[in-house]
Amino acid sequence: MNKGMSLLELQRLFYKTVFDSQSPENGEFYARIKTTVNLSGEQSVNIYKDSILGGLTDALFSIYPVCVKLVGEMFFKHMVADYLRRYPSNSPDLGDYGSEFSVYITDFEPVRELEYLADLVTLEWSWHRAFNAPDTLAAGICSIADLSTVAEVDQGSIHFVTTPSAILVRSIFPIHQIWQVNQEDYVGNGIVNLDDGAVCLVVWRNAAFGMRIDVLSEQEYEFLQAVTDGKSFSEIATLPCASDLSGILGRCMQTGLIAGFTLVK
Amino acid sequence: MAGFFVFLCGISMTDKRFSTVSGIAGAGLGLRSGHYQHIFETNPSVPWFELLSDNYMGEGGLPIVRAEAIRDLYPITLHGVGMSLGSADALNVDYMARLKSLADRLEPTYVSDHIAWVSIDGQYTHDLLPLPYTLEAQKNIIDKISQAQDILGRTLLVENPSSYLMFNFSEMSEQEFVGGVLEQTGCQLLLDVNNLYVSAQNNSFSASEYLAALPKDRIKEIHLAGYENKGDYLFDTHGYTVRDPVWRLYQETLEMFGAIPTLIEWDTDVPDFDVLLGESKKAQMFLDEVA
Repeated sequence: MNKGMSLLELQRLFYKTVFDSQSPENGEFYARIKTTVNLSGEQSVNIYKDSILGGLTDALFSIYPVCVKLVGEMFFKHMVADYLRRYPSNSPDLGDYGSEFSVYITDFEPVRELEYLADLVTLEWSWHRAFNAPDTLAAGICSIADLSTVAEVDQGSIHFVTTPSAILVRSIFPIHQIWQVNQEDYVGNGIVNLDDGAVCLVVWRNAAFGMRIDVLSEQEYEFLQAVTDGKSFSEIATLPCASDLSGILGRCMQTGLIAGFTLVK
Repeated sequence: MAGFFVFLCGISMTDKRFSTVSGIAGAGLGLRSGHYQHIFETNPSVPWFELLSDNYMGEGGLPIVRAEAIRDLYPITLHGVGMSLGSADALNVDYMARLKSLADRLEPTYVSDHIAWVSIDGQYTHDLLPLPYTLEAQKNIIDKISQAQDILGRTLLVENPSSYLMFNFSEMSEQEFVGGVLEQTGCQLLLDVNNLYVSAQNNSFSASEYLAALPKDRIKEIHLAGYENKGDYLFDTHGYTVRDPVWRLYQETLEMFGAIPTLIEWDTDVPDFDVLLGESKKAQMFLDEVA
């Protein structure tokens, strides 16, 4: 009679065996497996291990195609191997996996020279999140059409709300150009000058499900960052972007980036 | 604001709405994103589609719009891997709430998941892992399925997974384990004939004896797919046409249980839609023989 173990013990040991091939407890786990004619316990577990690590790697491949293109498929696989072990997936939705990849890359010595890579990865993650973002505003948010009903005395208490998909990204490198020249349908000479300077971007999805990366001015970025931070209209009016507030607000409403507001008195 | 570039990657949006179609019969297909355009352009004659629920768990965007458009044209089912019904962890109620919301929105004929575990201590492998066939594991999955059915407000279908190992301290066979789960929870079986063949070959048990032990009236859906022969074992890649031994086991299954709605799955190196359609027509021929 083989000695059993509880379900919890077994599953913890299985997980550890997959993600820590050097664990001294792995032998204990292999001993619980019924060997077949062709495979040892360890070989059987390796089928699952390869499938799990392969599935997570494939997920990162699909979220970060430009990063893959820049570093090459073989190197990308090498690069993500340790990420899979250091950053477990904490969500049943595989689409949530990979959020910390830019942090990981920042500390990944072999790509230190590619200083723009972490920011580019942030841009790709933002695209991924914006693609799957909610279609509609949360309950309790008024539509822009209702702005005319707000009394003048209350206008300072308006808190604007961006469309749910909008994500702000900034970088000291022209990451939007790097992203663009690495798209399959790109036509051009593919040259990007890293000295072009800092860039402020918003990644979002418009009402027709079109994905966009828009370049923002410093003032537009400051305005949208303030909105995202939950600042009121009167607070925003004290910021440098206030010099063109009506212009910025008009453009953001026209494009749909600003999609609603709340009134917090 | 300088519009930089715009990517429109949607289906043409129209105001035309179709009534929701429900109920499944015949040989359907697993819906894959690369085939959306073809389906919307040609309205192929497919009796039903299965949608992978985990592909539509995002809060919005084009995927769910496309899913609704398919739902308006064809009967659908929802099939997932995220419930982790066999885990020693508590059921993830946030995931279940999202799944319920999706099911309420898409109104599938069936919602299904697997007799397997995916996560432990809140850490997800996103892969279907084998259970020891013990009374403890059986009671655990019975409790989870019952809870899941309560949350969803519907009867679940659970699928037998492909397996590459068995534990030497199991207390019963897989078919006894599955039979007990069906009996205790009232859930139904999604019998994956390819998985059964792969598991039987890898673990040296008789697929025919397995089938004979299943309750006759509890199989509501069948899955078929292609495996890869790795030499020392069969690997369930869902990346090939259905293999001949699986077609034979499928015939045996139909002779035993009658014409059960059947689905062709294909997940890796997905070919042109017509290849899948050819596979579903082949399955339909076998179904017609026993109808």
